[in-house]
Amino acid sequence: MSSDPATPAAKATEERLDEIRKAAAESAPRGGRPSPAPQIRGRESYYGLPVLKAPVWTWEVPLYFFIGGIAGMSACLALVAQLFGNEAALVRSALWVALLGAAICPVFLIADLGRPERFLAMLRVAKIQSPMSVGVWILVSFSGCTFVALLANELIARGYTDILIVGVNWAGECTAALTGLILAAYTGVLLGATANPVWSHNRRALPAHFLAAALGGAAGVLELLGFLIPPTQLIGVVAAVIETLLGVHFELSRLPVNAPLHRGKSATAFRIAGVMAGPGALILRLVSDAPPVRRAAAVCFLAGSLLSRYAWIWAGRASAMDPEALFQMQRKS
Amino acid sequence: MTVSAFLTDATLCIGCKACEVACKEWNEVPADGMTWTGLSYDNTQSLGASTWRHVMFLEQPAAAGPQLAETTDPFRWVFLSDVCKHCGKAGCLEACPTGAIMRTHVGSVLVQKDVCNGCGYCVVTCPFGVIDRRPDDGRAFKCTFCYDRQKSGLIPACAKACPTQSIQFGELAELQERAQMRVHELRERGYHDARLYDPQETSVQGVHAFFVILGEPENYNFPPAPEAPTAYLKSAWTSAVICAAIAFGIICVAFAF
Amino acid sequence: MPGLGTTYGRGGATTAPKDMLNSDVILIMGSNMAENHPVAFQWIVEAKEKGAKVIHVDPRFSRTSAVSDIWLPLRAGSDIIFLGALIRYVMENELFFREYLVHYTNAPVIISQGFHDSEELEGIFSGWKADLKCYDPKTWWYEGADQRGGQAPGGETPAIPVPDLNSYKKDETLEDPRCVLQLLKGHFARYTPDLVEEYCGISKESFLRVADLYGRASGPDKTGGICYAVGWTQHSSGVQIIRCAAILQLLLGNMGRPGGGIMALRGHASIQGSTDIPTLFDILPGYLNMPRFGESSKSLAKYIAQNSPRTGWWRNFDKYIVSLLKAYYGDLAKPENQFGFNWLPRLTGDHSHQGYWLDMMDGKMDGMFIMGENPAVAGPNSGMERRALAKLQWLVVRDLVDTETSSFWRDAPEVKSGEVRPEAIQTEVFLMPAAGHAEKDGTFTNTQRLLQWHEKAVDPPGDSRSENWFIFHLGNLLREKAKKNPHAKNAGLLALTWNYTTAGPHAEPSAEEVLQEINGYTVADRQLVPGFGALQADGSTACGAWIYSGVFPKPGENRANQRTSKDFYGHGWGFAWPADRRILYNRASARPDGKPWSERKKLVWWDCQNKKWMGNDVPDFVATKPPNYVPRESAEGDDALAGDKPFILHADGLGWIWVPNGLADGPLPAHYEPFESPIRNPIYPKQQINPVAMNKKRIGNEYASSPDSRFPYVMTTYRLTEHHTAGGMTRTLTHLAELQPEMFCEISVEMAAELGIRQGDWVTIVTLRGAIEAHALITPRVQTLAIEGKRIYQVGVPFHWGYSGLVKGDIGNDLIAISEEPNVRIMESKGLLCNLLHGRHADNTQKVRELLRAQRVAE
Ligand SMILES: Nc1nc2c(c(=O)[nH]1)N[C@H]1C(S)=C(S)[C@@H](COP(=O)(O)OP(=O)(O)OC[C@H]3O[C@@H](n4cnc5c(=O)[nH]c(N)nc54)[C@H](O)[C@@H]3O)O[C@H]1N2
Ligand SMILES: Nc1nc2c(c(=O)[nH]1)N[C@H]1C(S)=C(S)[C@@H](COP(=O)(O)OP(=O)(O)OC[C@H]3O[C@@H](n4cnc5c(=O)[nH]c(N)nc54)[C@H](O)[C@@H]3O)O[C@H]1N2
Ligand code: SF4
Ligand code: SF4
Ligand code: SF4
Ligand code: SF4
Ligand code: SF4
Ligand SMILES: [Mo]
Repeated sequence: MSSDPATPAAKATEERLDEIRKAAAESAPRGGRPSPAPQIRGRESYYGLPVLKAPVWTWEVPLYFFIGGIAGMSACLALVAQLFGNEAALVRSALWVALLGAAICPVFLIADLGRPERFLAMLRVAKIQSPMSVGVWILVSFSGCTFVALLANELIARGYTDILIVGVNWAGECTAALTGLILAAYTGVLLGATANPVWSHNRRALPAHFLAAALGGAAGVLELLGFLIPPTQLIGVVAAVIETLLGVHFELSRLPVNAPLHRGKSATAFRIAGVMAGPGALILRLVSDAPPVRRAAAVCFLAGSLLSRYAWIWAGRASAMDPEALFQMQRKS
Repeated sequence: MTVSAFLTDATLCIGCKACEVACKEWNEVPADGMTWTGLSYDNTQSLGASTWRHVMFLEQPAAAGPQLAETTDPFRWVFLSDVCKHCGKAGCLEACPTGAIMRTHVGSVLVQKDVCNGCGYCVVTCPFGVIDRRPDDGRAFKCTFCYDRQKSGLIPACAKACPTQSIQFGELAELQERAQMRVHELRERGYHDARLYDPQETSVQGVHAFFVILGEPENYNFPPAPEAPTAYLKSAWTSAVICAAIAFGIICVAFAF
Repeated sequence: MPGLGTTYGRGGATTAPKDMLNSDVILIMGSNMAENHPVAFQWIVEAKEKGAKVIHVDPRFSRTSAVSDIWLPLRAGSDIIFLGALIRYVMENELFFREYLVHYTNAPVIISQGFHDSEELEGIFSGWKADLKCYDPKTWWYEGADQRGGQAPGGETPAIPVPDLNSYKKDETLEDPRCVLQLLKGHFARYTPDLVEEYCGISKESFLRVADLYGRASGPDKTGGICYAVGWTQHSSGVQIIRCAAILQLLLGNMGRPGGGIMALRGHASIQGSTDIPTLFDILPGYLNMPRFGESSKSLAKYIAQNSPRTGWWRNFDKYIVSLLKAYYGDLAKPENQFGFNWLPRLTGDHSHQGYWLDMMDGKMDGMFIMGENPAVAGPNSGMERRALAKLQWLVVRDLVDTETSSFWRDAPEVKSGEVRPEAIQTEVFLMPAAGHAEKDGTFTNTQRLLQWHEKAVDPPGDSRSENWFIFHLGNLLREKAKKNPHAKNAGLLALTWNYTTAGPHAEPSAEEVLQEINGYTVADRQLVPGFGALQADGSTACGAWIYSGVFPKPGENRANQRTSKDFYGHGWGFAWPADRRILYNRASARPDGKPWSERKKLVWWDCQNKKWMGNDVPDFVATKPPNYVPRESAEGDDALAGDKPFILHADGLGWIWVPNGLADGPLPAHYEPFESPIRNPIYPKQQINPVAMNKKRIGNEYASSPDSRFPYVMTTYRLTEHHTAGGMTRTLTHLAELQPEMFCEISVEMAAELGIRQGDWVTIVTLRGAIEAHALITPRVQTLAIEGKRIYQVGVPFHWGYSGLVKGDIGNDLIAISEEPNVRIMESKGLLCNLLHGRHADNTQKVRELLRAQRVAE
């Protein structure tokens, strides 16, 4: 009942009201905050609402990152393999992987657009300051180069060893490798050069992380295609080592801005991915180089690096929802 | 070419939301959800694809500072109408891969509806969380600074509708000066935590919509030191190139044996 | 309206919002001006920027409070204690403006020996007729006010005696114990700051701070203004609350002066217009009293005698009523048939909203037109009003949208709950689409009595038609029927002048022509009259509403449509009645000798060279009457008023601190508690409520006792910027609906803590009229008050939601009772008792039933 006099003669002075407030606060429900009215104190955010917008990208984009990376890296593998005169079959398969990847990538990229029919608008302009613009042009040229390279390669395989074709083949493979490298690396920049706290904070690590994944991924794919040769094993080991180191790095940097890598759904995914692509794959490769084990290692790494792409997007979402992290990050700088 | 700007003044705002409504009326912006938040009188919550002016309602304890020169109230209730900052260096504009976002001849940042393909990159590159993609439409939307009105010599709809001059529209340099004077005057009058929110020092290189506020920028969800993401390009790309080189090296080594 | 009407002579706001720029202090009370009059509020904001102090007194800390310098919370319904204490403070500290008081108000006037104050008689004034529950005001009259008061020019004497208020004794020293000022002093002597602290819940310090601030906004060089709206009106003593403010302004000499006055903030865009040319049942256009059935309206002469006191402007009553009758009945209005006076209906009872809704409830009404109203949501005890609608044979609703009123038979909660079955409702409902204001020509009369013309911008969609069209063509059809049935009661209808020129495919009557008819014209040659000065009582002129006369002085000169403001007061933009005067009673802005009180506060003054009044506004005074004019003993009408009498509509030309005649509930305001109150009346233990207020108690319209353990909380209702009243115009539009999408109520942090309510939780609010559910919005903006040392919680309830539109919610007015303030018959929707239960209505049905049953037993 609201009308029980505490001290009957009491007056409505401000002190009196404060007494009343205290009294009421004490009669608050168990565990209930005495003042449930939202109030903005000190340097708090606006009722804890997000400052930034969460990325709108859906499942297609991480998949694109994954495939693009592998495609790009296998183009490099193709070139180097050919340089060191490895068997033609390896070069050929690597190029095929690159081309197929290059062919699938746009599908996901376009599917994610709000207005897919307007994909070509991307080709109206080329903006060096826009990683996405750079990426689009890289993807386009990568597809072109790989196609040329593969075409020449196939012709040579069929005995057309005309000097011109050989030249085109080399040119194609070199440019494919170069664009492939950028294709595998730029996606890290794409995320790094945004307003998103966790992404921009890790802008240096991201390209490394994505490249490592692409590297190991490409090798893994070739292994699954049957090329259980020393180079792929070696690359697989190195990639897993890098993944492991990066995993350790992300675990240890406990800054609030990295919270999405340590807490919540994104963190779980991120850790599982890290273990699979890092220690997981590594141990498998070290215990034995029996074909089944190597295949297992490859699958383990591929799954891990795919999952980690999703983890990064989820981390970005979580990060955008957390105003305090953003404030802390900016206050320091 | 004169550069247009907004000076929005929390100490003159009565929270009537006329700006929010006028904006939607003029620009035919659709509804943004019928959800009751319980956060004071703010059921809009934030700027977005379908909210280009957003009036904030800050309920604060008295400790936050005086709303009125000589108040005895145990708390304060501050209103402020937020809007796209039309950044000097705009993350959204720099990042847009289609060139849909352009700088107009009045210095404002405009999304061209007929070009945007909804790639969503501007959404993550706006340091103020302003622009967003409209789910049912697929394209990105934000304040147009009523470019259409400005071109035909009218002032923006929100400024026109504001009954109390809380939204002042004018020439950039002139408004910046007025803002400085206003803050000074307010402090004289006893609003000791009155201040101007106008990030000049950061890579955003100043904004064309700045705000006279009471208390901390954070309370209004204003980033204390917003950065245009282009500032991150150099470090990110450097790392990318080095790592790429290393990756290539690794491959070579692997095959060399 | 009578609050200002009886005190100053006219019911309208005495000033314009922009004039607040000249105020030194502004008191906003009983109004949430920033939220409900945002455009007018720009001047308050600017005034504050210029250094004026703004005070807001309101149960809630609203958007208005947020930008005021000082906010004081008070218990809903305790306004007269607060204002009475302000008046006392002014008296005790002699802050009043003596020279102004002595010359311009009835402060020095001696009151008849027969008068006894409510302070003597424990809550009632002398003249109380217990059997009839009303007052005979005779004892309130001035000493020596005899019977010559209301003699018609024709020599006819009034049926009910009318005082002659221009023959009075006065004591200019203001010392005489029976002079108004001394009576006032005695009357409010007990309204102390301690009382305010104890019963309004405002700490003594805060009160004194405000009292001193406002009290000193007085004198030759200073003025203060007061803004109010329905936070004052909607009380069982609403008129007397406004009277307190009116008295205060006279004491401080703030009337008729720049930055002074009382800004009565009106509601709908043209609600002022709808009292000037009334939608009210008891007045005719221009505030001419509706004839009452009986002796007083036996003949036109008697009726005129009743309404035209010997002295003062109303002496012209005959000119105005005759011209109105000529406008109504044209050539058929002749001296022989008293200009058709007997065709006018007579008042036989209470035909106010409340009155006829109760009749409807009792099945006394067959059908009804509801045009531009949504009582199923906004009417008091709306639940009961919806049930009443179901007792009609037919109902015509004209609206922009399908409102709760037009769909009550289909969507109402009682229908949804199965309590009422649509097939059991006999009412045949016709929904007629109406044209909005942008879809038709016409005028608005806004809150500052300003007529503004609006042109049709677009054609109304589909079958939507304007009011003019509907009424005009309905009239034609009815007249056709009447022709076939020559019954006496049809004579008036058939006699009407009903011949407007029409245009367009739908034969739209000309709105300009209607405005011209309102302006008035000479019957013989149909020349438009220049103003009400030209109106005659001999039937040679016709005029639809004398106060608007002058709005259309010449063909092609529609002054409501003027669009170029020439000066600060906006002359040249629109037309303010009367005669484009922007600040009423502005004669008072000059000293008795005609010179301005001060340079800073000058408005109009006497120009000795040209021998006339001039200044920054149109003088609200006979332009050529010199300040030193002294009337002859035999003089009548305005000629009988001296040159220093600014309140020309009063028989004595004075501002009435004391109202000798014309109010139902006393010559001075006295504090009574609302019908439902958490405390007993601290001033008059023997008189809890306003003795003449009517509670219309009946099953379904019961009241809690005061106090009532079942209903411990004070509840009040109000608006939000985001919606408009019943919501027909806002809950139907996405960009407004989304801003306040759900029904909520505001409660204090302490109350929430005590009841274990969290932000956004559902609560059920219960009164004896009904129960509704709402979200809880917990905020320190609603303060817990300490009344009599007890904790008093107040519950704030917006009343905008209903069961139609894009956003729906329970209807706040299902909680309100139908009751009547004695002068304007408005319901008490600001200040009642409720209970508040945690959880939704459905979860609380049992508890609610118990609360309501308890009452039935008590009955
Ligand atoms: N946006 C908007 N504007 C409107 C309207 C609308 O619906 N929406 N309606 C229009 C209409 S029709 C009208 S009549 C006006 C009404 O204008 P207002 O009178 O301002 O309307 P309300 O909000 O009903 O009440 C005003 C204030 O009275 C306070 N109050 C409640 N009880 C008491 C009391 O006992 N004493 C005192 N002193 N204050 C009390 C309430 O807390 C509220 O803040 O607004 C007009 N303007
Ligand atoms: N509890 C509580 N109850 C209240 C009040 C309160 O403060 N508290 N306030 C009271 C007051 S002050 C008022 S004024 C009433 C208001 O109560 P109402 O007048 O019943 O409510 P409105 O929603 O204003 O109704 C106006 C209707 O007219 C329609 N309309 C608009 N323009 C036109 C037109 O040109 N032609 C026609 N035919 N229709 C048109 C609109 O669509 C709307 O449905 O509410 C009263 N009820
Ligand atoms: S605030 Fe965001 S959306 Fe607006 S211009 Fe700057 S970056 Fe673009
Ligand atoms: S969503 Fe539209 S505006 Fe935004 S970056 Fe992509 S193309 Fe440009
Ligand atoms: S400038 Fe125009 S678009 Fe931008 S917020 Fe104001 S009204 Fe909306
Ligand atoms: S219109 Fe002006 S006053 Fe109203 S909310 Fe917007 S900024 Fe504030
Ligand atoms: S809605 Fe119309 S009447 Fe009401 S404040 Fe706005 S402009 Fe004035
Ligand atoms: Mo109203």
